[in-house]
Amino acid sequence: MRLKQGSFLWYLYLDKIYCLLSVRNVKALAEYFHILDVHGKNTLNDVLFYHFLRHVTDLKKAQINIVFDMLDWNAVGEIGFEKFYMLVCMLLAHQNHLEGQFMYRHSRPVFDLLDLKGDLRIGAKNFEMYRFLFNIQKQELKDLFHEFDITGDNRLNYQEFKLYTIIYTDKLQKRQKTEEKGKGERKRSLYSKCHIK
Amino acid sequence: MEEKPSKVSLKSSDRQGSDEESVHSDTRDLWTTTTLSQAQLNMPLSEVSEGFDEEGRNISKTRGWHSPGQGSLDEGYKASHKPEELDEHALVELELHRGSSMEINLGEKDTASQIEAEKSSSMSSLNIAKHMPHRAYWAEQQSRLPLPLMELMENEALEILTKALRSYQLGIGRDHFLTKELQRYIEGLKKRRSKRLYVN
Repeated sequence: MRLKQGSFLWYLYLDKIYCLLSVRNVKALAEYFHILDVHGKNTLNDVLFYHFLRHVTDLKKAQINIVFDMLDWNAVGEIGFEKFYMLVCMLLAHQNHLEGQFMYRHSRPVFDLLDLKGDLRIGAKNFEMYRFLFNIQKQELKDLFHEFDITGDNRLNYQEFKLYTIIYTDKLQKRQKTEEKGKGERKRSLYSKCHIK
Repeated sequence: MEEKPSKVSLKSSDRQGSDEESVHSDTRDLWTTTTLSQAQLNMPLSEVSEGFDEEGRNISKTRGWHSPGQGSLDEGYKASHKPEELDEHALVELELHRGSSMEINLGEKDTASQIEAEKSSSMSSLNIAKHMPHRAYWAEQQSRLPLPLMELMENEALEILTKALRSYQLGIGRDHFLTKELQRYIEGLKKRRSKRLYVN
C-alpha cells in the first residue's frame, strides 16, 4: 500500500513518536475533508471515499471496500472526520514504516477497529483481512496468534494484543539498532580501506 | 477618513515646534493621535479641535471621545504620571486605544480586560503595532492556509470529484438530486480555480 507521490497526503508529516499529525497539519486535512464533503454533511459517502482512496493510494477496490466497512462503525454508509483522520494517520504510518509504532501508540483504537463483531476479541480471520494496513506478513500473523494467544481461544483480547504491540515495537527497535550498527561498521571498513590505499 | 489623520498630524507637528507650550505639547500629541483612534471618525476636523483650548486641555468632557472604560484610563495616566513620563506611557496608551478602536471598527467588543491584557505586553508590541496597524487582518492571514497548498488540495479534489460524478451518473442516474448537487459543486470549484488563476 503506497501513497501517490505528489498527492496532498504525501506532504503531510506524521510525528514519529506519537504517530499523530500536528495541529497545523490537522487544520489542512480538515480543509481538505471539507472540500471533499460535497453534500455538506461533514461526511464522505462510500462513493466519494472510494474515489478518494483510489486516487491517493494503490489500493484495490476490494481492499478499499474492506477499509470502508472497518471505519463505518455505525453502518450508516458514511465516514466522519474522526475516522478519516485515523485512516490518514494509518496511511502515513504505513508510508513511513511506522506501523508497529502506530499500533503500539494507538492500540486501543486499532483494537476497536479490528474487533468487527464488538465482542472484545479479534479473530484470526479478521486480522488476516486487515493485515495489509499494518504490513504484517502471513507467517508473522500465524506466529502472533501462536505466541500471544494466552487464553488459547484462537482470538486475541485487548491485553494480548497490547502485549503483542509492545514486543513487536521492541523487536523493531532492536532490528533498527543492529541495522544502524551494521551500516556504521561498513562505513568504517570502507574508510580504513581507503586510508590503506 | 484617511485625510483627516494626516491634517491632524500636521497640526500636531506645528505645535511640537513651539517651546512655550512644551509642557502641554505632550498632552496635545496625546489628543492628536488619540483622535486618529476614535471609533467615530466621521466628525469634521473643526469639531475635533473645538474640544480643546489653546493649551491643549480638554474643555468638553461630554464630547464622548472617551469610549466607556477608556476615559478613566486617560485621566488616571495624567494624574499618576509626570509630564516627562507621559511620552512613553502616552504612546503605549495610544497604541492600545488605536488597537481597541480598530477592533470596534471591525465589529469586535472593546473590554477593559482586553486592554489590561494588552498593557501587560512589552514595548515590542508597541513596535509591532506601529508597523502592523491592521492587527485583525494579519491575525487572519497567519491562520489561513498557504495558497499553493489550497491550490493543490482543490486540484486534487476536482480530479476525485470528477471521477465520483461519473460513478454517480452510472449508479443513480443523471437526474438524481445528489448527482446534480455534485455537478453544481464541481462547477463552483472550477470557477473558483479559474478566478484564482486569472487573478494570478
